[in-house]
Amino acid sequence: MKGYDLITPEGTRDLLFEECAVRKREEDKLRYLFITNGYSEVITPALEFYDVFNMKARSFRQESMYKLIDGKGRLMVMRPDSTMPIARIVATRLKGSKKPLKLFYSQNIYRCNPKLSGRDDEILQTGIEIIGGDEKRADLEALSLAARVLCECGSTDTRLELGDNTFYKYLLYALSLEEDEETVRAFIESKNTPELKNWIAEKTETITDGNKKKYAELLLALPRLFGGEEVFETAEKLFCNTELADRLAELKETYNALCRLYDKDSITVDLGLVNKAEYYTGIIFRGYIEEYGQAVISGGRYDTLIGSFGAEECGAIGFAANVNAIASAAIKREEESHVRSADVLVFAKDGYLTEGIRHCTELTQAGVITQFCTCSDEEGAREFAKENSIPKLIVIGENTEIIEIE
Amino acid sequence: MNSNKTIRIALTKGRLEKDTVNLFEKIGYDVSQLRDKGRRLILEIPGADIEVVLAKAADVITYVEHGVCDMGVVGKDTIDEYGGKFFEVCDLGFGRCRFALAVKAGTDFYKGYGVKTIATKYPNVTRRFFEAKGMDVDIVKIEGSVELAPLLSLSDGIVDIVETGTTLKENGLAVYEDVSPISARVIVNPVSMKLKKNDIETLLQKMENNL
Repeated sequence: MKGYDLITPEGTRDLLFEECAVRKREEDKLRYLFITNGYSEVITPALEFYDVFNMKARSFRQESMYKLIDGKGRLMVMRPDSTMPIARIVATRLKGSKKPLKLFYSQNIYRCNPKLSGRDDEILQTGIEIIGGDEKRADLEALSLAARVLCECGSTDTRLELGDNTFYKYLLYALSLEEDEETVRAFIESKNTPELKNWIAEKTETITDGNKKKYAELLLALPRLFGGEEVFETAEKLFCNTELADRLAELKETYNALCRLYDKDSITVDLGLVNKAEYYTGIIFRGYIEEYGQAVISGGRYDTLIGSFGAEECGAIGFAANVNAIASAAIKREEESHVRSADVLVFAKDGYLTEGIRHCTELTQAGVITQFCTCSDEEGAREFAKENSIPKLIVIGENTEIIEIE
Repeated sequence: MNSNKTIRIALTKGRLEKDTVNLFEKIGYDVSQLRDKGRRLILEIPGADIEVVLAKAADVITYVEHGVCDMGVVGKDTIDEYGGKFFEVCDLGFGRCRFALAVKAGTDFYKGYGVKTIATKYPNVTRRFFEAKGMDVDIVKIEGSVELAPLLSLSDGIVDIVETGTTLKENGLAVYEDVSPISARVIVNPVSMKLKKNDIETLLQKMENNL
């Protein structure tokens, strides 16, 4: 029988040498950023019960999760996301703890992507969650950290994009279109104005109420309300005298604050951001870098999630950065640099192995990256050093000999 | 994303390509390279900072989704079948036809309780259509002329693209029910849309004005 012992499953990969080093370096940068901002790291199991991800307000499509069955026949999944497990922890083990809580994670998530689409099924996500606290302050901090993640990733062209699904949800409610939420969302998410227009026209044909007509117009305008500052001007005209004007003013305030903190051109807004509407309850945001065709940061406010685990309702906001994407962009961008495995190679002649190891230990304790050579003779050691670009070879024998390698 | 400042647009080879090239010509672009392309797959529109890539329909979606092409022109049929994460911003109006359920002329498709068999090149479109009706059907994927399947009694009907219906008629089949309309669409990579907003919107505006 033909086995599969020589390949990795589709959507997964081995990371070697430079690829691995860059991935770890990018991850460390983000972990450092979150640690220095006072966030505490948590690790959750890669295996969770299916139910954690399969309730209203936290629905992941069945077919997008890797599933297993435990010894008792219960359905488990490889976690497709880290926010749900953290909400579970907050609702259980951290139930009585003082809020706000600031948590971060850096762990793999698993998604069953359509086969042969060239997407990663195993993705390293590093992200934060701010649980509780004042909404305005938490929103700004989360967004500001997201902007800093984009700065850290070294791309020359980046965008942090703000949205807020309050507008979309309110309009659906005002037009009594909640039942068709998924249809409308698909149109708005794909900025499919032509079809959205036809669909709304059909649905609101019988409406004579002037207010509702206005709401229908607003809903149709959402996909086009994206860009810079000018979006607010247009939106203010559209939303004035509606219940949404205040929310728009708040969003503008947050946008202006970010513009003062970061390069104004790198902050944009899109009122047509409506992804995961059953889950996000306010501000939504995404981060883009020019080297990658999808968002590398995705986040937002989710005020009902923790309550859905049976705990007291508690507002929260968070985001995750796709480290796979950030690292692969960095590799694409950087000149090919050979990662040197060590600065010094120590070769011990026969009879001097203990001395060799000791010398190695001393050097490493002094902070020199030193490799103990496991080649059988000095000639082999020289060749090894040359091949691996290790500049210095120390031969331990009766005398200690230091050889510079070209 | 394609991080060049030029806009790279993927066209579906064949009729949609021709119609789009005509549209570009109407806009006033120099389409000489596009008309006289030989076997080249990547072409330029001189003086317009636009690069044109020629690809098979489903590949247009793949290239745009991954962001190696900023935009694409592709039929709604392909979008419906393959789906994906991209913006679908404009209906170009040409390449108009429809998905339809066709059966042997004169037969009543819904008669009886047996599970029906449908032959199609578009299993996802077919599945969604019958799912919405709450109907279980067996779907058989056919690569070539789908019309053969009901004639050889492999299936009770077919779901396929219908333009004029001539092929159906000549083979004794008839449209039983329309599934959905089809036309050429412009799709855009979400990151490109955000990072090259002005250039892309200008091009879209020009295309829409010349339809």
